[in-house]
Amino acid sequence: MLRAALNRLIGMLTVMAIVVTIVFVIVRVTPGDPAAVMLGPDATAADVEALRQRLGLDGTILQQFVSYVGGILRGDLGQSIFLGQPVTTALWLRAEPTFFLTIFSLAIATTVALPIGIASAYWRGSWFDQATTTLAMFAASVPSFWLGLVFIQTFAVGLGWFPTSGYGGPYSSLGERLFHLALPATTLGIVSSALIMRFTRASMLDVLNDDYVRTARSKGMSEWRVVIRHALKNALIPILTVLGLTAALLISGAIVTETVFALPGIGNLIVSAVLRRDYPVIQGALLIVAGLYVLVNFLIDMLYLLVDPRVRY
Amino acid sequence: MKSILKAAAFAALAGIALPNFAVAQTAGGAIDVATIGEPPTLDPMTSTADLVGIITQHIFETLYTFDANWAVTPLLAADMPEISEDGTVYTIALREGVTFHDGSSMTAEDVVASLERWLRIASRGKQAATVVETVSAVGDLTVEIRLNGPYAPLLSLLSLNNSAAIVIPAEIAADDVMESFIGTGPYQLAERRPDQYIQVTRFEDYASREGEANGYGGARHQYLDEIRFVPVPDPNTRIEGAVAGQFDYVDSIAVEAYDRIAGGNTDPVLLAPFGWPVFVMNTAEGVNADVQVRKAIQAALAPHDMMLAAFGSEDFFSIDGAMYPEGYVWHTQAGTDPYKPMGDNDLAVQLREGSSYDGSPIRVLTSRQYEFHYTMAQVAEAYLEAAGFDVQLDVVEWATLTQRRTDPALWDIYITHSPFLPEPSLIGIMSDTSPGWWVSDTKHAALEAFNAEADPDARVALWAAVQEAVYEEVPAYKVGNFNALAAQSPELQGVVPAPWPYFWNAYIQE
Repeated sequence: MLRAALNRLIGMLTVMAIVVTIVFVIVRVTPGDPAAVMLGPDATAADVEALRQRLGLDGTILQQFVSYVGGILRGDLGQSIFLGQPVTTALWLRAEPTFFLTIFSLAIATTVALPIGIASAYWRGSWFDQATTTLAMFAASVPSFWLGLVFIQTFAVGLGWFPTSGYGGPYSSLGERLFHLALPATTLGIVSSALIMRFTRASMLDVLNDDYVRTARSKGMSEWRVVIRHALKNALIPILTVLGLTAALLISGAIVTETVFALPGIGNLIVSAVLRRDYPVIQGALLIVAGLYVLVNFLIDMLYLLVDPRVRY
Repeated sequence: MKSILKAAAFAALAGIALPNFAVAQTAGGAIDVATIGEPPTLDPMTSTADLVGIITQHIFETLYTFDANWAVTPLLAADMPEISEDGTVYTIALREGVTFHDGSSMTAEDVVASLERWLRIASRGKQAATVVETVSAVGDLTVEIRLNGPYAPLLSLLSLNNSAAIVIPAEIAADDVMESFIGTGPYQLAERRPDQYIQVTRFEDYASREGEANGYGGARHQYLDEIRFVPVPDPNTRIEGAVAGQFDYVDSIAVEAYDRIAGGNTDPVLLAPFGWPVFVMNTAEGVNADVQVRKAIQAALAPHDMMLAAFGSEDFFSIDGAMYPEGYVWHTQAGTDPYKPMGDNDLAVQLREGSSYDGSPIRVLTSRQYEFHYTMAQVAEAYLEAAGFDVQLDVVEWATLTQRRTDPALWDIYITHSPFLPEPSLIGIMSDTSPGWWVSDTKHAALEAFNAEADPDARVALWAAVQEAVYEEVPAYKVGNFNALAAQSPELQGVVPAPWPYFWNAYIQE
């Protein structure tokens, strides 16, 4: 187990080094200039150039890369060009809404998807299976921005139950802030549930016909016990994978959903950083996002070892 | 829909009139203002972005500002400046008893340091720096600006709220990077949570001017306890927020949403006219370096169809070749004959054939950040092709456009828009270094005469010559006038429709 963890750790560091390089290069070769955005439409070329110098953007790409990597090794992701604060602070300030949005969305998605996936596998080919499969296809195909706007129009504008957007004001309590997440979390939960539902169903179908399931039944076990204790336990590996990746995707910021609902989360930060070419924030945020993906994959790999002792790396 | 303009006019009149009844209002309450996004900075010296000006004008103040008729009026200055006979020395007396948000008193030393910072780092300040020789304190509350020649736009430059000549404490002004946001405005910065809100609260020691409110000038009553600027970048979400009544004021809504807003919990507010879309021509390089090509393009374009496609209804735009609409002192039709609402294809073909145009594609640089830019580009493409031009639409996002337009090798036309700036010489094409790079003897002769003239009436006459030069040399093509739509809670009163909405005289009606 320790050796497997060490092997995985070396792989993680390699992936991160590649990510740092690729992100840096992509960000720099993308057209656009933070100095021009900051100065506004009437700024002259000389003004833009002067600001570029002040921001340290006038060096060669190699000089900037060396400086950036040196910063990372010192734990410094740089200073946001627009926010006037360290990138780590900017990310930390965005963590709360994204964290809770992830938790709520995942809770909604798993609460909906797991039982339905199990039931549709158990009653394979029934009207229930067909209906839930159709619903899952719908949830998987519907764009989250469209579903978000439909929810806003229905539940915020029409019924007035929820705020249309935002994350509360200066005096909002945690409860009030979390209340603002109701619609975005439901949107994301529904969209995410489709994949989890389909994986759960497929994985359960694989195991429900296995010999040990038949053996369990022949021993007179209740169907509930057979399905949950025997079949589900063995079907968990692919479900864990998709749950982990969904969590990583949500933690890294549900970019479209956060933008539609004007949530000050990590996804929104990435969007505004890209639009303004706030290089340090783009690089820092993508580094953290990639790190989360790598970490989640690592944890999933380790969980495999625990769930199924036959797994070897 | 026909009632829209009437309603807008009523709203505008009501808004203008309301501050006159200000004494009847009570203080208190907070409002949420939905904005188009997070401002790139809170230092209004360093940015010309409207959003920066809208928010920071509540925190910072300038020596002068604009009244309801867009005339310069004193703000932190005690009065209009004393100007020497030759127009080169401005002596500005400052108001007594003005306090910064940190509790210190404003002195001439602060003003000098602030103006020096403005001349050093602000794009408009640098424009003024070419004529400003010295800025000095000639007393505790008197400042003197010496110029190397008469320069009439100076007071307007000192009055604008973007790239603004704000007055800040001298120790803050010493640094090019602003880290403390200490101004003299009616509201002070309480908290900035990027992408969540910017909270400003009433500055209790604020020294308002006496008298009545008058545009951006006059009394500033500070009825509200606090104002929260909430970024809502998605335009559809802003509309839904307005319909639901979640915000007290929602800025910058697509005009197509007028009926939807009108049926919701907030009232539509139309600012008519707000500004002008413009096709800026690259006069330095490429096919448009030939003025005959630019004239052919001018003849080919049909502004009526372009505006109709972009704004959907004549309630939201007007066809007008004058660079300033009626109601502005600068309004004149001088030189606008080449502006044809439906274009003149025959003339365009004739001009193209007499030009150096060699069939190269005209590269139109545009963005969908503002959908109406893109829509106008599509209509323009059809008209230009009908006149025999090959057209290439380069559609990029805004940040890319702002970079590419600085390189004359990359484009022939770029599309932008502007509010009607109170001082014509601040329009982008008037600067030789602004993208488009319009430089000519005709321009310089007309503009220098305009800039050197101090007499307001004489300047109005001289502006006509500048506008004629624009139509003669076509450094840019003004498409028309367009209106801006915002939404406002019925309880929120005292907001005057303005290109940069302000809330120091707003109050909540119980």
